Amino acid sequence: MTKTVETLLRIEDAALPFVIAVVIGALVLFATGYDPLDVYRLMIAEAFGGESRIASTLTAATPLLLMGLAAAVAFRAGVFNVGAEGCFYLGGLIAALIGYVLGAWPSPLIILSALVTAALVGGLWLYGPGVARARLGVDEVVSTLMLNFIAIAVTSWLVDGPLLARGSANSATPPIAPGAELPRFLPPSAVGLGLVISVVLVVLYGVWERRSVSGFQSNLVGLSPRFSRAVGIDVGSTYIRMMVLSGAIGGLAGAIHVLGLVHRFVAGFSPGYGFTGIAIALLGRNSALGVLLGALLFGALSSAGSTIQLFSNVPIEIVQILQGAVMIFAVAKFRTARGGEARA
Amino acid sequence: MDAFLHAAMLMTTPILLAAIGGLVNRIGGLVNIGLESMMLAGALAAVVVSSETGGVLPALGAALIVGGAIGLVMSLIITRLAANEIIVGLGFNIAIAGLVRFWLKSAHGVSGTFNPPGVVMLRHFDLPGVDSIPALGAILSGQDVLTWFAWAMVPVTAFMLARTRLGLRLRATGAAETTVRAVGLSPLALRDASTAFAGAMAGLAGAHLSIGVVGLFNEGLTGGRGFVALAAFYFGRASPVRTALGALLFGFFDAAQIRLQGRGVPAELVQTLPYLIVIIVLVGLGLADRRRAKGAVL
Repeated sequence: MTKTVETLLRIEDAALPFVIAVVIGALVLFATGYDPLDVYRLMIAEAFGGESRIASTLTAATPLLLMGLAAAVAFRAGVFNVGAEGCFYLGGLIAALIGYVLGAWPSPLIILSALVTAALVGGLWLYGPGVARARLGVDEVVSTLMLNFIAIAVTSWLVDGPLLARGSANSATPPIAPGAELPRFLPPSAVGLGLVISVVLVVLYGVWERRSVSGFQSNLVGLSPRFSRAVGIDVGSTYIRMMVLSGAIGGLAGAIHVLGLVHRFVAGFSPGYGFTGIAIALLGRNSALGVLLGALLFGALSSAGSTIQLFSNVPIEIVQILQGAVMIFAVAKFRTARGGEARA
Repeated sequence: MDAFLHAAMLMTTPILLAAIGGLVNRIGGLVNIGLESMMLAGALAAVVVSSETGGVLPALGAALIVGGAIGLVMSLIITRLAANEIIVGLGFNIAIAGLVRFWLKSAHGVSGTFNPPGVVMLRHFDLPGVDSIPALGAILSGQDVLTWFAWAMVPVTAFMLARTRLGLRLRATGAAETTVRAVGLSPLALRDASTAFAGAMAGLAGAHLSIGVVGLFNEGLTGGRGFVALAAFYFGRASPVRTALGALLFGFFDAAQIRLQGRGVPAELVQTLPYLIVIIVLVGLGLADRRRAKGAVL
């Protein structure tokens, strides 16, 4: 009985931020002279109405799955990493370069080396803030936020000068070789190997989080570092490992975005996937199922947002408003705190 | 050289205004990641009111109120619903940027840049006598009221924090919340007030960018300056003077990158300097803490 009540409360916890965001969005729409019900109905139709719309929702959900996962892996261990965005950029750039330079190699080999290198680069990028957090107590939120700005600036400098595609006016690398492109299952849509890899990783995370010793330990570290230390878990190493893992997933997400969809690296090519990923992890309470549903939801929002502007004159920014509002209320506690002092 | 000093002072103003707000906010116990959103809204409010009324004072008032109101709402969500300040701040940055663009498109049919007719800009005042002194003239003279206000706020804030009852209460709110509650004050109300103050200062910072520098609104106008302000008050830790030095340093970088670009130094790399400095400062503080802790044990 109490178990059912608890489950209901948990569902309510996860749904409430979204409901509030929808209400805020409705108020904004109403105040600017749109019919909120009409707009929302159109958005649902644009996200799920028909095969091509569902394919575009799944395409939009692909980077979000991995970015939500990157955030969840770290948050669960009590590491407040907001730096996956920077890894997305670095991973994307390195994958684009490998896809161009190694173009003559056999296709599986290019793809494998691009994905692995991108994950390595992403993991390395966050090793520093991980160590600084674990050994020196440096606030990882600020350090990783700052590293995002640095990664974005450095990658856009690289594609503006040293790596700019010849004859290209905008800041981008040359397109990757055809052999480096991830196979697509439902052409012309971009649904393909990238989505499969992402879903598999999220499922693996779910198994690891629930069934493995190290998954249990990292959760324990997140719940209570002092208790974990007392029972002999190396808290500092767990912080570093989860930070690096989070960065690696972020880098992989960038690589998949380049190889599967954009086929080159363009400066500023993430519309804030890292931050959407944070919202997804928070909303999904860092669980695998939560990440899956959250990524689908935000994917639907963004694919609907990109076309409602064509069919009605509702500005696409309504999606941004909803997204920001979900983020804000995903961390709010609506019932009196039960003595917990978790940071998220 | 004089032109460069003048430009550096001009670029420092918005960073300094927002950084002082953020500093007071942080002393009150809240790290304000949402400064960028309050700056953006303040910049828009100033342009709209300036073009409607033709007056600078109403425009500044609007920026102050809009920024302060956003700060207050953000603070209430954080303090009353026990929400994580970083995520709420990031959420505000996303939602407010979306709201601003949504409103510009739906109400004015423009995207990106909003340039209504009749925007009155901040006046620049020359100081007779001072303006002919080399270097010093370029720094002090020919500035606008917000620049002078920003610099005046440095000693005022330092005095308020160190010497007044309000300052003591605010410091206690950040450092010893239970004590504040024990003596019958409301730490959450004080914290909310400090966030509203930070929002108002960030709003003025936005107004300086829009009606002080360019005379129109653009969605990229703030360009991460809210985060540079965050960098400045992390650099300054609890000290207004050190925070001002940080803001000045970043203002110089801002002015320098335009000049360095002409000599082949990429602007993107110069822009990363404030962020790099914050990381270096944080790691330095962490190392110093560890050394102190070790010293205490031995």
